[in-house]
Amino acid sequence: MKVKIRQWNGVASWLWVANDENCGICRMPFNGCCPDCKVPGDDCPLVWGQCSHCFHMHCILKWLNSQQVQQQCPMCRQEWKFKE
Amino acid sequence: MEDSVMESDPAEVSAPAPLHGVADAWESVTAALVSPGGSGPEPGLSDSLALLCAHGLGRLLGGWLLETLQMRLSSSVVPEFWSGLKQPENELEERDRAWVLLTAFRTLLDRLEPFLGGLERLGMWQEEGRGGLCGPGPRGLQERAFTIIRALLLFSPSPVLQERVLEFYSRTFSVYMNQEGQCWCQEALDQLKELSHILSKLQLLEWVSSEAVTSILHKLIEQRMEQHCRGEYECSFLLEFQEWLELVLGWLSKVFASKADADGTTPSIPCTPSAPSAQAGQPGSSILKQWRCHMHQFFCRIYVNMRIEELFSIIRDFPESKAAIEDLKFCLERTNQRQQLLTSLKSAFESRLLHPGVHTSDILTVYISAIKALRELDPSMVILQVACQPIRKYLRTREDTVRQIVAGLTGDAEGCTDLASELSRGDPVTLEMQDSDEEGTEPEDWTPDPTDAVPDKMGSKRRSSDIISLLVSIYGSKDIFIDEYRAVLADRLLHQLNYNTAREIRNVELLKLRFGESHMHYCEVMLKDMADSRRINSNIREEESRLGEEEEQPPLSLSSIILSSEFWPPLKEEKLELPPVVCQAMEAYTHRYEKLKAMRTLSWKPHLGSVTLDVELEDRTLTNLTVSPIHAAIILHFQEKSSWTLEELSVKLGAPRELVHRKIALWQQHGVLREEAAGRYYVVETGSSKEKMERGVMLIDSDEERDSNTTTQSEQREEKLQLFWAYIQAMLTNLDSMTLDRIHSMLRMFVATGPVVTEMDVNELEAFLQRKVREHQLMVSAGVYRLPKSN
Repeated sequence: MKVKIRQWNGVASWLWVANDENCGICRMPFNGCCPDCKVPGDDCPLVWGQCSHCFHMHCILKWLNSQQVQQQCPMCRQEWKFKE
Repeated sequence: MEDSVMESDPAEVSAPAPLHGVADAWESVTAALVSPGGSGPEPGLSDSLALLCAHGLGRLLGGWLLETLQMRLSSSVVPEFWSGLKQPENELEERDRAWVLLTAFRTLLDRLEPFLGGLERLGMWQEEGRGGLCGPGPRGLQERAFTIIRALLLFSPSPVLQERVLEFYSRTFSVYMNQEGQCWCQEALDQLKELSHILSKLQLLEWVSSEAVTSILHKLIEQRMEQHCRGEYECSFLLEFQEWLELVLGWLSKVFASKADADGTTPSIPCTPSAPSAQAGQPGSSILKQWRCHMHQFFCRIYVNMRIEELFSIIRDFPESKAAIEDLKFCLERTNQRQQLLTSLKSAFESRLLHPGVHTSDILTVYISAIKALRELDPSMVILQVACQPIRKYLRTREDTVRQIVAGLTGDAEGCTDLASELSRGDPVTLEMQDSDEEGTEPEDWTPDPTDAVPDKMGSKRRSSDIISLLVSIYGSKDIFIDEYRAVLADRLLHQLNYNTAREIRNVELLKLRFGESHMHYCEVMLKDMADSRRINSNIREEESRLGEEEEQPPLSLSSIILSSEFWPPLKEEKLELPPVVCQAMEAYTHRYEKLKAMRTLSWKPHLGSVTLDVELEDRTLTNLTVSPIHAAIILHFQEKSSWTLEELSVKLGAPRELVHRKIALWQQHGVLREEAAGRYYVVETGSSKEKMERGVMLIDSDEERDSNTTTQSEQREEKLQLFWAYIQAMLTNLDSMTLDRIHSMLRMFVATGPVVTEMDVNELEAFLQRKVREHQLMVSAGVYRLPKSN
């Protein structure tokens, strides 16, 4: 007997490769989106800092904009620098 | 005055001799009064009259006449009438019976006519004041005479009279309605005319015939309705009946008309100038008017009664039975039978619809028809609201209600296509309690509710007539519907091989109009996932083909639906180890995906999806089979080894034995695999004809192909309740012990977010807590819950 597979339609769900489940700022799941967004994934990406913490991009930008003096990671209070 | 008559007679007899002339005068006057001839005033009469009056006897004349009438009646006329009526015993034919009836009345008239004439004459004298006579005049005297006749004649009427009259009238009625020239038809009509005449002359018409006519009409209307309208809902009967009733009125006018023109046709009663004939004609037409009203009323009542009985069927056939509903509406407004309608309809629903034998989709179909029909019938929606309460209550207890409604909305259900078309009308669901500030209507247009309305807080505004709003409001919350729709949508998307979502997009857009953007947001993301997946697939396939020139082609063509897990309903988790070929393909796919989308990866759901494959056997090939991944995995394993036991397969697939057993049935049905002793399965390389025969017979419990991929509503509820467990534990730790109601209200207060608590009623919570008690996680005593002591 020989089985020939013509087409395999699988189902998968995508997820961010992050070491946490929820965004530390908005507490929403990374795999969802930040409170201001409607659509997850490409439209609401994650960004990583050099301190290895990551957030929804929109969340961290909002946070950084609200900081008067120094731009710090809200989790570890180190200076925030985007990871390249 | 009548009383004095008795004494005055002997007084007169014992009168002294000089008054001998008075006796003569009395004699001649009374003779003139009673004589049938009704001759003109004789010369001597006036003198006699004057003489009588001079002796004060004139006023006694009236009394004497009435007394004589009474005596005559009770002694001979009445017994003669009754015996004449009864005399021929039952052997007679109908025709003769009619004759007897008529004759009896004829003789009655003959016997009474002289008295009536006398009264008339006396009345005239009185009026003219002849010889100083005075008195109530002809009208007054006749009135009294007729009262006496009625009283004596009908004091104890025998049933024979009613029977005969009834028979007579129904015969003439049918003759009149048919207008056929049968044997004695014309005669019957003439008889009718004569009888009416006599009766009206004696002013007995109303007393003798009303009852008979009423019962005939009732019977006939009922009969006609039974014959013509019962079971016929598709055309209106109002006009037809109107015409028919007019025809019946024609007959009635024959019965009662003689009363109208009585004065004209009987010259023996000359018209007094004070009563012109126009006035005399009045009573007849007013009687007819009365009868018309009565018949109309009666028609409406019978019609409503019949339709109420049939209302369930009418509703069931609704769009076709619109005419019946309109008729019923017309008639119902004229009778006071709303309450009867409500009670009967409610019980019809309960006995014919709301029992376990009826499929949910059928109940929904009837409910939808009922909404449509009843909003025609009663634009105030009160009947709808009250009568359908039992349906709504019952639907709430059915588990698949929501799924059926959603299926109907998306056009999946076989029965109710109405919902889909209703949805495309696209009015927003008015379920949320809108505050009164957006009251678009003028206060002038306000109409009060009918009296039988249920006094609820919302008043008439709440009584929406929109079908979808009504259905959705069965549960009082949109969210259950949205969740269920999401589950249905997920199922449909996952079962689709192509990524064609045009229809789903349309549905979602329509639902968005109804439920609002925010509620349908998740569904939109799901649809976007489908579009994205298609793009990613083609992207990856392109890359593969570019690489394909250098490397060898990947072993199988894999495409994937990539979900945004947060936005899809929870999918069933099942464990399944796929064959290495597939796993490798998936890994490769994941790899490419990771390259495409930085920092993202895929988590496969191996048990979901679909596989198209060909099975090549020695003597035959099964092509283009579309199966689920587990089916494919099973058959792929048989490729490397031609016999497996269930145990081995289950280990290999990482799936429970029962599941494998169930799934393997598909291949047995296709005749690819065969079970031999000790639960070992073999590949059937060469299919013999015997095998085929067996296959035909083999009805292995075929695996339900369209298994739902999403967890069911109740499972999800369970999870949500589980979420409360933490709250409940915390509450009980702090407050030591609480009653059920307290827990419920606390949960309502604190866990206010989300629709979950508001939907959860006390009973459900109680059931949940009871289970916790059984699991020894909770203790209950005297209705008070507490946590078990941990040490």
